[in-house]
Amino acid sequence: MDRKPADNPDSYPPLGRVLMWFTDPANANKIFGALAGICLMTFLADFTYKKYGHFAVEYIPGFYAAYGFVMFIALILAAKTLRIFIKRPEDFYGEKAIDCESYPEEELEQVGHDDA
Amino acid sequence: MMMLNLMPTAFIFIAAAFLLLALPKGPLRAALLLLVPLVAGAQVWSLPEGTYGQFDLLGLTLDTMRVDKLSRIFALIFCIAAFLGNLYAWHVRDTVQQLAALLYAGAAIGAVFAGDLITLFIYWEATAITSVFLIWARRTEGAYHTGMRYLIIQITSGVILLAGTALLYRETQSIAFGAMTLGSLGTWLIFISFGMKCAFPLMHNWLQDSYPAATVTGTVILSAFTTKLAVYSLARGFAGTEILIYIGAVMTLFPIFFAEIENDLRRVLAYSLNNQLGFMVVGIGVGTEMALNGTASHAFAHILYKALLFMSVGAVLFRTGTSKASELGGLCRTMPRTAVFCLIGAAAISAFPLFSGFVTKSLILDETANEHYPIIWAVLVFASAGVLSHSGIKIPYFTFFSHDSGLRPKEAPVHMQLAMGITAFLCIFIGVYPDTLYALLPYDVEYRAYTMAHVVGQLQLLCFALLAFAVLMRSGIHPPEIRAVNLDVDWIYRRFLPRILGGVSTGLSQLWAGLSRALHETLESIVAFLFRVYGPDRGVAKVLPTGSMVVWIAILLGLVLVVNYI
Repeated sequence: MDRKPADNPDSYPPLGRVLMWFTDPANANKIFGALAGICLMTFLADFTYKKYGHFAVEYIPGFYAAYGFVMFIALILAAKTLRIFIKRPEDFYGEKAIDCESYPEEELEQVGHDDA
Repeated sequence: MMMLNLMPTAFIFIAAAFLLLALPKGPLRAALLLLVPLVAGAQVWSLPEGTYGQFDLLGLTLDTMRVDKLSRIFALIFCIAAFLGNLYAWHVRDTVQQLAALLYAGAAIGAVFAGDLITLFIYWEATAITSVFLIWARRTEGAYHTGMRYLIIQITSGVILLAGTALLYRETQSIAFGAMTLGSLGTWLIFISFGMKCAFPLMHNWLQDSYPAATVTGTVILSAFTTKLAVYSLARGFAGTEILIYIGAVMTLFPIFFAEIENDLRRVLAYSLNNQLGFMVVGIGVGTEMALNGTASHAFAHILYKALLFMSVGAVLFRTGTSKASELGGLCRTMPRTAVFCLIGAAAISAFPLFSGFVTKSLILDETANEHYPIIWAVLVFASAGVLSHSGIKIPYFTFFSHDSGLRPKEAPVHMQLAMGITAFLCIFIGVYPDTLYALLPYDVEYRAYTMAHVVGQLQLLCFALLAFAVLMRSGIHPPEIRAVNLDVDWIYRRFLPRILGGVSTGLSQLWAGLSRALHETLESIVAFLFRVYGPDRGVAKVLPTGSMVVWIAILLGLVLVVNYI
């Protein structure tokens, strides 16, 4: 994207200004820290109640945490590998396939947020 | 109301289609499109259980309205989906789309209430024919071809259903649509027909091919009906069929890899839809009362949050002209409400506690564990993390957050916000008050979704998966969003088979050319030979003078005379 207007938060809706906080790279560490904190809490919460489950693995503290973390990374790596084999240019199925054609403009209402 | 009760629900939609044509283009039509699902919903709600609307056709009795708890919950959510979809499409003035939306919903509801296989077949094909117009309404060449592929596959599914019905009728002398056991060719054909519409692995690709090709509002409407009609049909016909457990497990698994690297967000959602169907199919395969409750409730919740996600991505497409992740980002600045609705849909599909997915998916997962399928259970838990990855994170993150694309579109129109708002509310309401939904399920529910173990386990799974995402993003390992298409099964019929056919036809035409050339040459040489022998200046064809003829006759006569004297 070559057109990148300067951020002009005053013109954004109030909720937009709130959500924008999450997109600021300066806050990335805070968000990551908070997420790590929440993760730690969910892990520690495992020791506060009597576990029950159908399978033995479910009784291991932090089983779901480890499973979620490991499998997520495995999924992304597998998908990345898959991409090597199945990725094709956007016009692979021809210029007239929906992947390259643009959506008919007359059916859309493309207006900017500060357009009158 | 009394008269209304006697009318099959689908007919309300058909009657409304005629009424729609009589109304002038504009808000009146849009209002009718909202009113019809409400009236139909009220009828579905008030009908007592039983079989209505029977009539005879060629000696067969058709049951057009079989109302029981299973058909009712599906019909009810179809009415709700039709209402929300039409509200979202309030701005649409295209008669084709309005009629398609109306008749498609009516056909799907008609199919759900079908008590016999012939009625089911009629509505089954009707859903195919009506829904394709939601794709064609985009009115581009790409959409035309995609719609054609979609229609061929959908119609084929119906034809297979009819063939299966005929074989089954010969076998059992009945066309009743009830529980079946796989065994004969007839039941297998019906099973395959349901499987095609349900997007079983290898038969799935029509879904990802066609849904991103439909109009902004068309995709929202498409997402609700066809596949869930197939889920209903499988639940009705093949509950407890063990092979479904494995088919379902594969369905939850493979789309998550494709969804992860897909650029078009509406196609990501189509893969995600496929994955969600997998959970429902596993529930049908397990087949216990609790598992079927899980399937029905998950279908109910799924229609809502999937519609919500399609609505939010649709709103972005409506405002920016694209739904490609590589072109989007940072839209939370100016489309914050759409962003929040999208986040609610993402939380619901990811099954965060207090959202609808949590209270419905766990019924299926728990029942898989109860019935001792440890590997299937592990697959489903993994697939749950996968759902978070593409629908929970990728959709909202790369659209509304992530890097700034520079796009500053206006917030979605009010009617779209309203549709998204109501859907989002329902996603949360079901999550907070699951008993309201549980009361509608086919069997009695004694289930507590909110136990400490369950809540903590799910939060651990999701939060640590989120953490993994954050780690991968920070380390730059997460695959970037790039403009590309990915090969899937559709490559076989969009590229491979046409190439093979092209090759075969080239080969055949070359063979034909060779043969005809050889024939031509042979004929030519024969003609040349004849010419050589009988040609104008050759001996055979020489014109002899009359005198020589007289000489020859005299010689012959002389010879005859000599012979006579001897």
